[in-house]
Amino acid sequence: MTKVVIVDGEGLLRARVVSNTGAEHRRLANRVMEEALQQAGLPFDQVSYVVATGYGRINVPFADRQITELTCHAKGVASLFPAVRTALDIGGQDAKGLKIKNGVLEDFVMNDKCAAGTGRFIEVLAGTLGLKVDELAAVAAKSTQKLRITTTCTVFAQIEIVSRLSEGVPLEDVVAGVYDAIARRTVNMLKQLGVEPDVVFTGGVARNAGMVKAVRDNLCYDVFVPEDPLITGAMGAALLGKELVLKARAKGQPILRKERRLEEATFFSS
Amino acid sequence: MTGNIRVAGEQKQGLARAGQIYHDRDIRMRQLKAEGRKVLGYLDIYPVLEMLTALDLVPFGILGDIKEPISRADACLPTIVCPFLRSALDLGLKGRYDFLDGLVAAHTCEVGEKWAHIWRIYIDLPYIHYIDTPHTTHQSAREHLAVLLSDFQGTLESFTGAKLTPERLRRAIRMHNEQRALVRGLYDLRKPDPPLIAGTEVVQVLVALISLPVEEGNELLRQVIDEVKQRHDGPKKKPARLLLWGSVVDSTDLIAMIEDLEANVVMDDTFVGSRAYFSDVKLTDDPLEGLAEHYLVDIRNPRTFRETALDEANRKDYWADLESRHGYLKDYAREWNVNGVILQTLRYCDIQGYEVPGLKDYLEHIGLPCTYLEWNYSQAALSPLRTRVQAFLEVIG
Repeated sequence: MTKVVIVDGEGLLRARVVSNTGAEHRRLANRVMEEALQQAGLPFDQVSYVVATGYGRINVPFADRQITELTCHAKGVASLFPAVRTALDIGGQDAKGLKIKNGVLEDFVMNDKCAAGTGRFIEVLAGTLGLKVDELAAVAAKSTQKLRITTTCTVFAQIEIVSRLSEGVPLEDVVAGVYDAIARRTVNMLKQLGVEPDVVFTGGVARNAGMVKAVRDNLCYDVFVPEDPLITGAMGAALLGKELVLKARAKGQPILRKERRLEEATFFSS
Repeated sequence: MTGNIRVAGEQKQGLARAGQIYHDRDIRMRQLKAEGRKVLGYLDIYPVLEMLTALDLVPFGILGDIKEPISRADACLPTIVCPFLRSALDLGLKGRYDFLDGLVAAHTCEVGEKWAHIWRIYIDLPYIHYIDTPHTTHQSAREHLAVLLSDFQGTLESFTGAKLTPERLRRAIRMHNEQRALVRGLYDLRKPDPPLIAGTEVVQVLVALISLPVEEGNELLRQVIDEVKQRHDGPKKKPARLLLWGSVVDSTDLIAMIEDLEANVVMDDTFVGSRAYFSDVKLTDDPLEGLAEHYLVDIRNPRTFRETALDEANRKDYWADLESRHGYLKDYAREWNVNGVILQTLRYCDIQGYEVPGLKDYLEHIGLPCTYLEWNYSQAALSPLRTRVQAFLEVIG
């Protein structure tokens, strides 16, 4: 997903756009930005600073600066939950654990090596079960004995659940097992950092009630979920951009901007 | 013999020459072969190169190739083992090292041992010797290694038909010690801020060193050191001065990714980096004893187990243990003015991987920020690592 957030000088949300990235992601950033500008009712030259983050951060030719999604997530989460010490972000491509202190990223851990432990794991296994991702939580709620999925690999897990269904394991227990498998993996990853409350759960996967329950059960802590968990990284990027501008203004320093072009990225743009 | 490479009348020197050899590693080996010299390949830092040099054999460090997809080795080694070793065997099977007259391997790790035996099965060479280097530093282990080196001497003498006299061996030890001192001199050039030489350039020089006979390597080092001291277009000053620790780093790719960000890699504790060069071989009455001491005790490497340090009451003491195992890294950090450490291990590299939890504890204890990367010895793996390194740099400011 490609997301754009625009905040004003007070840090208030002026625009929020979320769009499917797709294979043409190098071309998408400017289109989503145009939509966000329309939503905010702003011309592009009224935007003081643009921070690009995430895997596509180098493909945003109109960005003034690239900051990693880890720092941006930490900022975004802390803006919503000032007491946060630990954050778990599960997206479609990776899972991140963040240690946050006084609103600033202190340490992190990432799973970006395989689909197991990411939203992709849920999507693939939902497909195997013939269900939509949105339907999983209601099915899992009926489970009385969740299935313990033993394989880590997403492809092998598909084979495992098909085999267990054929043995007569109820569908709801299989679905609850899928949630539990991903929660166990990501919570164990999070424990490498040392979990401290408050714990916040973000990313697209945090919109899924079944997944939130599974994370809570595995973590043995309550977890807070933002109202809009998909945009915490983009929100953090916008807030960091705002801070950079305000800090420079307070010091009377020039705001260091790149020569920006609101156009498609090309393989020759930096 | 000057050892300088002449290509179409052009004589390259210093960094340019190191870069040329880095990109075309067998160039000098094939020339030496044509002159009648015998070239023995070796793996990692435990084969005792002094004994090859003493018999006028040319040692050549076998490496992998991060850019070459592994294909043929998958028929001989499981895919869930060290990707560097898989890559090195793959290159051997594909004929990249077809100029070798022999192979010397030593027990660095379990997979390394199997690697050597599998190489012997699939790639027939006139000479192959395996040194079963012990894994502890006990006196009995040192004595055992000296005996193993005596066996090694026997097979080398049979292969060459020459006698390895103590005097020849001492002369070779002096040449290799000179190389170690020169490498330390090269690393001294990384101490200023900004460093006078980039981490990527150091890798090129060190890969070139293991692709040349020792005397030519020493000449190259002298040229590089002189050149770097005199030039004015070295690396730029950056906020982060990093130490890179861990598994083999045999190409510039990983360090180039790091140095493309706001960081200079100013020190390392790796192979092909500092590990082989930061202590000298003592010249003992029986040279094999000094060599055994050096390769088993002096070289700091997770593959060698060191006894747990005990406290005054003779109990295990975790922090004293970490200090005895990793204290030299604190010295590196101080001397090279390091403000962050990147711990990196190749996927399935158990030897280095087991060391990481304790090492992280130690670095945290001494107040040195670190981050841990486990990666897959492929260029494709570098893109996600870039995010982690950049985030680490953002954390340490």
